[in-house]
Amino acid sequence: MSLERTGADGGGGLMGWLEERLGLSNLVALGRKKQVPLHRHTIWYYFGGMSAFLFGIQVATGILLLLYYRPSAEEAFESVQFLMTRVPFGWLVRSIHSWSANLLIFVLFVHMFSVFFMRAYRKPRELTWVTGVFLLFLMLGFGFSGYLLPWNMLAFFATQVGTEVAGALPFIGDFALRFLRGGTQVTGGTLTRFYGMHVAVLPAITTAVLGLHLYLVQKHGMSVPQGVAPRGHHAFFPNFLLRDLIGWCVALACLATLAAVFPWELGEKADPFAPAPAGIRPEWYFVWMFQVLKILPGHVAGIEGELIGILAITLAAIFWLMVPFIDRDPAGAGESRSRRATLFTVMGWLAIAVLCALTAKEYLS
Amino acid sequence: MSRGAARAWPLALSAAAAWLALAAGSASPDLLAQSKEPPAPERRFGPFESSCFTCHAEMDDSEQSPAVLAKQDVHFAAGLSCHDCHGGNPRGGFDGDPEAAHDTLFPQGAFRGKPDRLAAPLFCARCHADATYMKRFDPQARVDQHSEYVTSVHGRRNAAGDANVATCVDCHGMHGILAVKDPRAPVYALNVAATCARCHSNQELMTPYGRRGDPHADYKKSVHAHALYEMGDLSAPTCNDCHGSHGAAPPGVDTIANVCGSCHGREATLFRDAEMSRNMNLEACIQCAVCHSNHAIERPTIEMLGTHPGSTCVGCHLEGDAGWKAAGSMRESLERIGVRLGEARDLLDRAERAGVEVGPDRFALQEGDDNLIEARVLVHGFDLGRFNETADKGLAAAEAGIAAGQRAFAELRFRRVGLGLSLVVIAAVIIALAITIRRIEA
Repeated sequence: MSLERTGADGGGGLMGWLEERLGLSNLVALGRKKQVPLHRHTIWYYFGGMSAFLFGIQVATGILLLLYYRPSAEEAFESVQFLMTRVPFGWLVRSIHSWSANLLIFVLFVHMFSVFFMRAYRKPRELTWVTGVFLLFLMLGFGFSGYLLPWNMLAFFATQVGTEVAGALPFIGDFALRFLRGGTQVTGGTLTRFYGMHVAVLPAITTAVLGLHLYLVQKHGMSVPQGVAPRGHHAFFPNFLLRDLIGWCVALACLATLAAVFPWELGEKADPFAPAPAGIRPEWYFVWMFQVLKILPGHVAGIEGELIGILAITLAAIFWLMVPFIDRDPAGAGESRSRRATLFTVMGWLAIAVLCALTAKEYLS
Repeated sequence: MSRGAARAWPLALSAAAAWLALAAGSASPDLLAQSKEPPAPERRFGPFESSCFTCHAEMDDSEQSPAVLAKQDVHFAAGLSCHDCHGGNPRGGFDGDPEAAHDTLFPQGAFRGKPDRLAAPLFCARCHADATYMKRFDPQARVDQHSEYVTSVHGRRNAAGDANVATCVDCHGMHGILAVKDPRAPVYALNVAATCARCHSNQELMTPYGRRGDPHADYKKSVHAHALYEMGDLSAPTCNDCHGSHGAAPPGVDTIANVCGSCHGREATLFRDAEMSRNMNLEACIQCAVCHSNHAIERPTIEMLGTHPGSTCVGCHLEGDAGWKAAGSMRESLERIGVRLGEARDLLDRAERAGVEVGPDRFALQEGDDNLIEARVLVHGFDLGRFNETADKGLAAAEAGIAAGQRAFAELRFRRVGLGLSLVVIAAVIIALAITIRRIEA
């Protein structure tokens, strides 16, 4: 039986054959039925899709890197070096993976703050916000664990500093440090552990949380900001999706340019006995935390400054996660916002200012 | 027996033994034998508690200086005191009677006073040549200084009665002697050359010995001095590393290669091999100093080799002889390898700055550097065939590095072209999407 003759109501050919088996028209119908509100802030909706696109690139390039990467202190650096010098387009895959990871974190921050300022976390989207913030934490975890994998000097010492911070946690510090490092020092054991987290543990958790997040987005649809009256709607498919695709193409063009013009450096192989290189600092998205710990005095009111910093960052993260349950303004779309909402907006801008100032301080010093 | 009597017996015995030793020493014409009288092994007071200090501290200038300088002296730090070298009664002066302190018949060590300049080596050798005694302070202590000294030019002239030559005190100081490892010591590695220069750069002192020039000034221009003073490498050679310390002597013509070879072993071996395998007699005409000089040894460069007027080779070889041709050939090879390695490194550097990973190529290029170093060393074997074997490997490594650099740039061009094409395709897709959206929404 030929494929051309198998179509039922989907017509002939391959599409008809697939339609008969997968029911693609149902998905298209769902896409056409789903409406996206149009207003002056609609552009921010695209950052969610762009995050998903960059995450997809991470998965695809990550799988390609897995084909050559060897997770041991003896071979990790050499395997990445081999990939970059001997494997056709290996340098491109690694560069895109590294640049895409950074762009993803940046886009996630933009997405999160746009949701925050539009107060899209209001009832009934509290869990959408919570899963979204969790996804950001997971992506930061990907960044932290992936940074060590090339086993170069910068990564080695940055991981040493980063895990030391975990070791300063009250009560569980020693356990956290040993859990992360797989011992008291950063060794090949730490590398294997980080590799496991990067390619198995975090992806598994992310798949579940991302699935829930997307389901919630589909279920509740796009939120319209308070005080904004939509001027209409358009269909998710094809109108919104085609615009999404343009954004993805722009992101892809940026990635290609960055990867080709500024390929991600490999540096020197990690040497645990070498002195820490000058100017060592974590990835840019952790720099603000690094600065908080750096600027605090050794002791404040008899308590270790580092401990206070860690507690402050932890409390801020918990507060951020709980925002929908604290800011419970009942005002809906088109209604003017309350004083509490204004207070939260000010807090949001303040948070951005603090993050940018602390990051800039590190890079300018 | 009472407790006091029990304590008195060993004292009496040691006093008797000391007297016998002194008597035996004075009877012997051998000064070293006379000096075999180690200080009393037991001490009942600290090194600064002797009457020597009480009196000498109140004296003027030169008589006072031993008491002042003793505070930093290595001997005092080890628990010894004035009478351990000079003899005499360390408690005698407390009664206000200097003669009692300067007792030439003191049973536990006759007062010896200030030794004669010629006798200074034996004065020190009393202890420093006594292995049993020295082990009390340092199990690894050398005791061959005096036996070395007597073989040195200084020692031989001293034995001949020349009081102008250096003895122990001229290098180590007299009072306030510091340990060799003390940076303030005149014999500390950084100070040795200046210490030797006090005599050897003194033209008035050296002229009677037929010595001219200023070896210290020459040395300060040398690559060795640069390593020692500028780079802080304390293992870099100074005077005593080539001439010896206590057995200081100028190396003879036939031993220069051995002296230099104690550090530059590979060059010395090649030099000796050339003599042995090719039955060459190089000793009379060629030694290290002929090309490299002695004290003013400059950093060896490729300029030393070749047939141009400034090279060291043309000092001996005549135009057209085998050595002349070999020198020219070696120079040309070394120059070519150096230039090509430089080109390769430059290409790889530029490619790396442009973002191409060239770590393995850079690592491979190190082989070329190693070959170049090896070829420069092989110059000392005067064997053109062996030299060319290594030089060819170096040149091949340099060419491979250049090829790798060119590949990296080709890769870079490919990336740029690929990026351009990708951006064109992406732009086309964006335009198509925009047109589609407009068409749909129209």
